[in-house]
This record gives sequence, C-alpha cells and structure tokens, in this order.
Amino acid sequence: MTDDPLLAVRDLKKHYPVRSGLLRRVTGQVKAVDGISFEVREGETVGLVGESGCGKSTTATSVLRLEEPTAGDVYFEGDDITAYDDDEQKRFRRRAQMVFQDPNSAFDPRMTVGESVAEPLAIHGLRDDDRQAEIVSDILERVGLSADDADRYPHEFSGGQKQRIALARALILNPDLLVADEPVSALDVSVQAEILSLLDDLQSELGLSMLLISHDLGVVREVCDRVGVMYLGEMVEVAPTEELFANPQHPYTEALLASIPEPDPRSRGEAVELTGDVPDPSNPPSGCSFHTRCPRVVPPEDFEFPDGSFRQVLDFRLAAENGDVDTDALAGDTALREEFGLPSSLPDPDAESVLAAAISDAASGDVEAAADRLADAFPTVCERTDPELVDTEAGHPAACHLHDAASEHAPPELTNPQD
Amino acid sequence: MSNPLLSVRDLHTTFDTDDGTVRAVDGVSFDVDAGETVCLVGESGSGKTVACESITKLIPTPPGEIAAGEVRFDGEDLTSLPDKQLTEYRGGRIGHVFQNPQGALDPVYTVGDQLVEAIRLHRDVPKSAARERAHSLLDRVGIGDVEDRIDDYPHQFSGGMKQRVVVAMALACDPDLLIADEPTTALDVTIQAQVLRLLDELQDERGMAMLFVTHDLGVVAEIADRVVVMYAGKVMETGDVYQVFENPSHPYTKALLECLPGRGRALETIGGTLPDPTDPPDGCRFHPRCPHAVPACEDGDQPAFEDVGGSHQASCVLYGADYDEPELAEANDD
Amino acid sequence: MPSTEQQSPLFTRIDWRDQSASLLDVRPRTAGLVLALAAVAVTFVYNHQVATTALVGTWDLRRMDWLLFVACILLVRYGVVPLVANWERSSGTVREFLRRPAGLLSLAWILGFAVLGLVGPELIGMPRVDFYADYQPPVFTTSHVTNIANVECVGPVTDAGCHGTWQYPLGTTSTGENVVNIVMYGAHIALKLSITAAMIMVVVATAVGTTAGYFGGWVDDVLMRYVDFQQTIPAIVVYIIVATMYLGKGLFTLALVFGLLNWGGIARLVRSETLERRESGYVRAARSAGASDLHVLRRHIIPNSAATVITAATRQIPLLILAQVLLAYLNLSDVRLRSLGEILNRALPPLGVGWWVVASITVFLVGTVLAFNVFGDTARDVLDPKEVA
Ligand code: SF4
Ligand code: SF4
Repeated sequence: MTDDPLLAVRDLKKHYPVRSGLLRRVTGQVKAVDGISFEVREGETVGLVGESGCGKSTTATSVLRLEEPTAGDVYFEGDDITAYDDDEQKRFRRRAQMVFQDPNSAFDPRMTVGESVAEPLAIHGLRDDDRQAEIVSDILERVGLSADDADRYPHEFSGGQKQRIALARALILNPDLLVADEPVSALDVSVQAEILSLLDDLQSELGLSMLLISHDLGVVREVCDRVGVMYLGEMVEVAPTEELFANPQHPYTEALLASIPEPDPRSRGEAVELTGDVPDPSNPPSGCSFHTRCPRVVPPEDFEFPDGSFRQVLDFRLAAENGDVDTDALAGDTALREEFGLPSSLPDPDAESVLAAAISDAASGDVEAAADRLADAFPTVCERTDPELVDTEAGHPAACHLHDAASEHAPPELTNPQD
Repeated sequence: MSNPLLSVRDLHTTFDTDDGTVRAVDGVSFDVDAGETVCLVGESGSGKTVACESITKLIPTPPGEIAAGEVRFDGEDLTSLPDKQLTEYRGGRIGHVFQNPQGALDPVYTVGDQLVEAIRLHRDVPKSAARERAHSLLDRVGIGDVEDRIDDYPHQFSGGMKQRVVVAMALACDPDLLIADEPTTALDVTIQAQVLRLLDELQDERGMAMLFVTHDLGVVAEIADRVVVMYAGKVMETGDVYQVFENPSHPYTKALLECLPGRGRALETIGGTLPDPTDPPDGCRFHPRCPHAVPACEDGDQPAFEDVGGSHQASCVLYGADYDEPELAEANDD
Repeated sequence: MPSTEQQSPLFTRIDWRDQSASLLDVRPRTAGLVLALAAVAVTFVYNHQVATTALVGTWDLRRMDWLLFVACILLVRYGVVPLVANWERSSGTVREFLRRPAGLLSLAWILGFAVLGLVGPELIGMPRVDFYADYQPPVFTTSHVTNIANVECVGPVTDAGCHGTWQYPLGTTSTGENVVNIVMYGAHIALKLSITAAMIMVVVATAVGTTAGYFGGWVDDVLMRYVDFQQTIPAIVVYIIVATMYLGKGLFTLALVFGLLNWGGIARLVRSETLERRESGYVRAARSAGASDLHVLRRHIIPNSAATVITAATRQIPLLILAQVLLAYLNLSDVRLRSLGEILNRALPPLGVGWWVVASITVFLVGTVLAFNVFGDTARDVLDPKEVA
C-alpha cells in the first residue's frame, strides 16, 4: 500500500449533451460536473453538499465509473480507474460500493432480502448457497437486523430497516470505499439518527472510507471529517467539517449554512436570503457562477457601494437583461427602485448618476439600454473571471474573488464575520 | 375573541385496509386562533397529514372515514356539512398548499388560467377581473415579470417558483385559514428560506391563520406560534413555540429534538419502531420506545394532558399527580 | 436495536481468488432447455433427411408441430419450471389467485380448454361425416328438422319432434358430425395456435422491449419506430398475402404471421417498465456491485416484466382464436382443418339449420375469450408485486 489517498479525483468533468430536433443533434451541454478535484483518504469520510442540480450525485456515479466521465482522472489507490481492464474493473467493483437514496426502490420486490443482499456475492462468483446464507446472516446481524429476516420480502420492512439492508448489501463484499448518495434523506429524523450512527460505527470498525453525498448540512456535519461544497458543477469550498461550519469562506457556503432553519425559535429570521433560483446548468453564468445570487458580489473598484447595495443594482441589471422588468406595471422611477429594493439614492454621486440614468431608461420602456448602461459602467470581477479554488487565510481553499491574494476587494469581514 | 377560528375536537379518522382498520388520527384536538400559526409536527405515520386533510374532508372516502369528532371552523361544524357546502370552504375560506407543487398544478393549463379558475370557482366575477387579481397575486408571491409569465405552463417554472404559484392559488379567495402540508419539504434549503419568508409575510399582511404541517423541527422553530407534537395518531404535547423548544416536556418531543443531526453533539437515537397502526399499544402510544416508561404507561388510554406551565401541556403520566417528575428532571440535566 | 452491540470488527473475509466464476457453472434448468431444444433440432433434421414421411408409425409431424414443440419447451422452461422450482414463493401467488372467484373460474375454464384440446381429439377422434346421423338435436331437446327428407332421428320421435340422445350430447351438424368432437377439435386448434403465437409474441416483445428500454439511445429509437410502423400493418391482410402466395393457408402461417406482427403493444409496455426499472435502486446497486448488463436483464428487468407480459399476452390470445375462426369462416384457412369457423359458416343461414351447432360454438368461443381476459386481469392483480410497503 502506498501513501496515495484511497480515492483521488482530479479535474473531473461530466457533461451531458442536450439534444433537440428531429435528428437529435447536440445543441448544448449540461455541465453537470465541471472540473472538480478532491480526495478521500483511508478511513476518512468526505461529504459533498449542495442543492439539487449542483452535480453531487453525478460526481458519485462518475467516480465509481457507473457513468463514463467526460474528462478528468479518478485514482483508486494511485491507479487510474479509467484505465482499468475488465479484471481490474471487477476487482474495483468489489472494493467500492454504493448506497442509494430511496430505500423503497432499492430492492427487487420479487427477491427475498437474503437474495438481494447476497446478489453481489453471486455476481463475483460466490455461488455456494450455504456459504452465502452464512455470510448474509452474519451481515444482517451486523446492521441490526436478525438472521431470520433473510427470508422475508422487502415490503415487510420499514424504510429505516430497508436502508439497513441496503447497507448490508453494500458492505457484503467488504469494500474499502463506500459511496452513499443521500442515504438518509428519505427517512424520518429519528430513523436518520439511527442510520447515521450505524454508518459511523461501521465506518470506524471497518476502517471504511466514505464519500457521502447530501443536501443536508446537518447530516454532513454528523458524519463527515471533511466537506466539499458544490455549486453548479463546481467545488466552491473544501474544509474540515467543523471549520466549514465555524468559519465558512465562500459566500455560498455562508448562505447555505444560514438557510438551515435552526430548531431554536429565538434565532428565527436570521437566514441570509439568497435571491433567485439556481441557474440553468446548461447555460451557467459567466465568471463565478454564483454571481447572479451572491450577496457579497464584488462591486466595481471605481465606485463606492454601501453594504450589499451592489447586489440590488446587479439584480436590477440581470432582471433587465432577462426581460424580467415589467415596465407597464412599474411606471415611474420610484416604483422601479422599490420593486428592486434599490435605495432612493446611492451615496456615491458617480454611481448614482449611472443608476438614475439606467432607471429612467427602463422607466421610459428601454429596458435593454438600461441593462447595457449598467453593464458598461459597473463591471464586476465576479462576472468576468472564474475564481480558482485557492487557499484562504482561514487555511482551507475556497473559490471566490474575495480571497484573491492580489485583490483589494477582500473585505475584512469574511475572515472575521460580522453579524 | 374567545372562540378560536378552527377548533378540532377529539377527531378520529380511520382507513380500511387489507390488514385491518388503521386509526390514522385517533382522538386529536387542537385549536387555531385567527392570525396564528400552528405547526403540526411529527414523523411519518404520526397522522399529521391525515389530521389536516380531515378538516375539509380531503381524505379519500372510502377507505378513509371521519369516525368521530368535530371540526369547528368559525363556529360551523365542517364534519356534518354536505359535500357541496364543504367545497365552498375548500379554496374559499380555507386555502391549501401541498408538499408537491408538481401535483397541485395541472400541466395542460397555463398558471394564469388555473388561477382565474380558482378565483371564479368561489367568486362571481368576470374573467377580466379574475385575471387582474391573478396578476396581482402572482406579483405578490414574487413571480418576476408577471405579464410574460402568467401565460406560461407549470413546467416552465422551477420548483420554488411552482410552489409560489401554488401559494398564489391558495390565496386566490383571501382565505382566513391556510393549511400548508409540508410546503417546503421538496425544495432546496435556500429556496425553502425564500418560501418560508414569503408565507410569513403574507400571513402578517392578511392576518390569516396558518396550520402548517411539517416533520422539520427547524422549520417549526422558524415560523410557528404554537406547536402540536403528534405521534402515532395522538397528540403528545402542545404549547407555545418557545415553551416547546426551550422546555420540551414530553419524552417523545425530547427524543425528537435530541436526534436532530448536525448540532455538534453526540447523536441520540429513539430506538424501536413505530407501532403497528392497525393495532396500537394500550396506554401511552410511546411507551414501547419511551426511556422513562413506568408500569402505569402500559394500560388504559393515552394519558390525559397535564399542564406543564401556562398553555403548555403534555400527555404523559409523569406529569400527573402521582409522580414528581423525578426521572424527567434527571433527564433534563444531561 | 442499538447498533453499537457489534462483536467482531470485521465481516467474513472471502478469498476472491477461489471464486472465479466458471463458464461450466450452469443451472440444471438452463442445461435442460438447451438439451430439449437440441433434441427437437436433431429430430427435425432426422425427419427431414432420413425418415421423410412419418416419424414413428403413422405419426407424421408437420411444420406447425415443430413450432409447437419449441413453444412448449419455452413455456415449460420459463413458465412451469420457475413456478414449480420456487413453489414456496409461487404457492402464495397461486393461492391468492385461486382465492378470487373470477380467477378460479377462468383458470378452470382454461384448464378444461387445454385438456380438451390436448387429449380430446386423441381420445374420441376427429369429427366424422355420418349421413345417417345428420341434424340430430342435442340431448334433452327436440327438433323438427328431422322432418326434412332423408333425415332420420337417432333418438325417439314424439309429437314434439326428434329427441336428442346421449350419443350426440350436443347434436350433430348437417353432415352428421358430432358437435362434441367439433368443439374439441376446435379447442385443439385454438390451443396450438395460442401457445405458439403467444410464445412468439412473448419472446419477441420481451427481447425488443427490454433491449429498447435498457440500452436506450438510437437502439430505442430504431426499435420503437419499427414498432410504430409495424402497428400500422393489419396482420389479417399480411396473412392473406403470405398464405396465398408463399406459405400456404393454415395454422403455421397464421401463428407465424400473427405472432410476428402483434407483439408491438406488448413490447411498448415492456419498454416503459424497463425504462422505469433501469433507474431503480436495485438495478443501480447491482451495477455498482459489478453486475453485467446480462445479469441485470436476466435477474431484474425481465422477471419483473413478467406480470405485464403475461397479462398482455393473455389479452392477445382471444383475439388470435377469434381471428382464426374468422379466417376459417371466410374460407381463408386450411380446408383440411375442420375449424369452428368453417362449421359456423355451414351452420349459419342460409345454409344452416340446427341452432345448436351455432349455440355450442358460440358458447365455447365466448367462454374462452372471457376466460382469457379474466385470467389476464386477475393475474395482473395478483402478480403485481408490492414495490412499496
Ligand atoms: S467570486 Fe464574487 S460572486 Fe463569486 S462567490 Fe465570490 S464574491 Fe460572490
Ligand atoms: S406516559 Fe409513560 S411512556 Fe408515555 S411518554 Fe410518559 S413516561 Fe413515556
């Protein structure tokens, strides 16, 4: 065994062609995963979090080569898995297993639980029935069920029990790596807790490495050693779990953390509200793909914008570009300012004159001109260049221009969050 | 105002299944005052959804049946109303928002048409007026550039936007009560935060009451005024949101709060499984799993509600006259 | 159950080098299938090269019989063997099926139909023309047809007319054939036709449906376009063309043409189920455990489409039987076959006289069609596995 991490992913990409028309010509690409790198060391649990459509599940299946990655390398114990021959591939399948989200569809309804759990054994050539039964009953007991359950059918079990059985099936080949795709999100909280602690126990006893995919930061915090945060197919921040929670460096992570409703009525209303929806992954925004929603988006250097007001200006511009400004309903400058939460005037007179001109463009019906004027006058680095995932002062990497070494726009409050 | 807007008393809803009669809701009582937000919280199988669907008899009958109990809405007993009159309440004075916005919208009509229909179902207004109202509702729930989007079909909206449209439909006739069943469960957290904020604002603006069903204690803490905790068809604990979160009294509520993941401490589990809904245990429904159970928990009916401070009540024998809450006091110290 | 009470820190270790899958590792049922098919092939060659007339004694096999053999072997392998081998599991399904009165009745009818069709003609022979016993009414009924010149009543004659006898329980035709024999022979033909054509349909539909659904992409496009196209072709017209120009009229052509042209609908159903199953957790789990496509198809996809295929196939069978009767009625079938259609043709006005011939055949046909439909419905209800608890 070498010092290589168990799993190393380098610049992984998975693009899906978008086809349309009669001839099914490729008319675009959905960049589900667009160049991410991370590693899972032995015995470590790494989490990937993000909202739906951020590419975390695609990452899981591409890493296991259940889907062919478009580009990039995946190393398992230092060997490139994309270069495996059939035998090596089969061996890899034994050593890396996956658990899926929905325990209700996880089992063939015609097969007993025992048969389902034993299936991987048969696939790998162990066909001796007695031997299979012995291994299955052992493992069922290990996940907290009884050996007799092997003869029952999946529909006789509750969701949590089924997820235990799914774990048994994934662990029966004694894998080194377990990829768990939202393993508890279909379960009730109390059942979630049971499965999570089972995962934790099994993992520490077996020295398993685990890649856990989840949208739920609470779950991730419970079991992961390190966490990667994904947004629109890109990794925006990677950090040891506690550090990520205590000191998030990327505005998206910050917003994600703040959106989790706390089970504490005294902290209500503290969510940082992200405006807008997640953009369409077949047409992601230029530069930093989060700039359409980022509350900390970097204002142009030549102007002064008080706290957060550049966000509103940018929102107004983006709405104008998308034709989402309804000039009939919003007659007049003040109505427009109100609709987009713009201050009645910006403190910086230069900035204000540009904004005022743009608003009167829009008010007179020429929304396009307003958009162009704003785009020309207020360029932002966030829209221009895609930030790299680089180390921050906090010691872990994040992909955000606020951390650019050469950048003068890094406000002090990110490393020292204000409330 | 002494009479609550909605008063559910001793509601029993049963379902006939192949395996026997499921007592999904088995003697549940709670009130919702005008302008108030009440959260029904519980895990799957607790009966929370059936309870709120029983209010306007949205449960499929058969197999479902409201076997007993009373649902008073503004003084009128809804359980005894004929279907025809009930439909006037549904979508009229009582609005509904469901978990899955996909299913709540008809894919073959534009959202505008659906809203206009929802309005005209209850209000005798001309189409143009209804459309105007639809327009302003969509605008209010945060659909940008309504003029363009009102004639779009549901599939052209994202999940969060669809849920906003559904909220708009529920508001079509200015309901006094909005029943929202897990309205944010299918949404991403950042979108959930937006929808919760929207609901909160709308409620303030309109002074409407809200009955909010969820399994997520975080969401409860975010929006509830009062909380009703359900387990296996029964109410375990009710109280003001601060009381319930800061001084959870029923062992089930405590356990539920303990097993929330990601709070930086060791995860507790409840252990055991939900009771068989066709044959629930005698005594306290929670006793097979309760860490504090005493012999008295195992017989008779669900323990009576005991006051644990103000309007805060728990259905647990340990708060009865015979006990001094020693075990629980101890448990609270951990 | 707290999960912390684990004993040993490691699961059973398996030495995978000992477990290399061997190609010789075939199940008896697979071996049996191959052997049986090989036996048919050998006899076929023998019959065509060496003993070109009768195979054994007077038993002369015709092409329809060969097709039937193959169909029966497949039926046994994929229908009977799994049912019996997994009796523990299938007994539950069977009991569930029999608990339903409709299921019980339809099964009884179909079994009766099958037994009659199989052994009937062997036991009591083909319907024979007998001009001394024409126009006999069924037992318990009387008829005045015997007043026609030259018709003698076998039973007693009273004022009410000629009484039927037990010799001809269902009466006889205008040429004196026993209606019992006719119905049995009709059942025989219908049975042969349904087994072969249904087997062809099931095999082709399953193969095409699963391939299209599982592999998707252009394979799916091509196959489903073809199905669209095929569904626009009326099988009856093709039969008439093929039968008159190439293969000759008869059961073989009928089974082949209908079997090969009527699977489109079933294939579509199988495809859509496959599409759904392909994304299911168990298929993904099997794939992530290293299962080959073949394994997934054989273990999960195809067995889970069984309910759909069986239901759909049992719905096609009545149509086939009726089509065959219709073709015979129109004289488009083999003249040597004393088919129900041909008899109907003769028994119906203007030629026909005895109502009982038409009645017996109609009852038989309606019963059989109903039985298959009810069987299909019940099978669907019973076989539909509980995918969710
Ligand atoms: S690069 Fe700009 S838009 Fe992107 S996260 Fe950082 S501040 Fe926000
Ligand atoms: S009544 Fe008994 S079983 Fe029920 S919660 Fe209280 S202590 Fe536990």
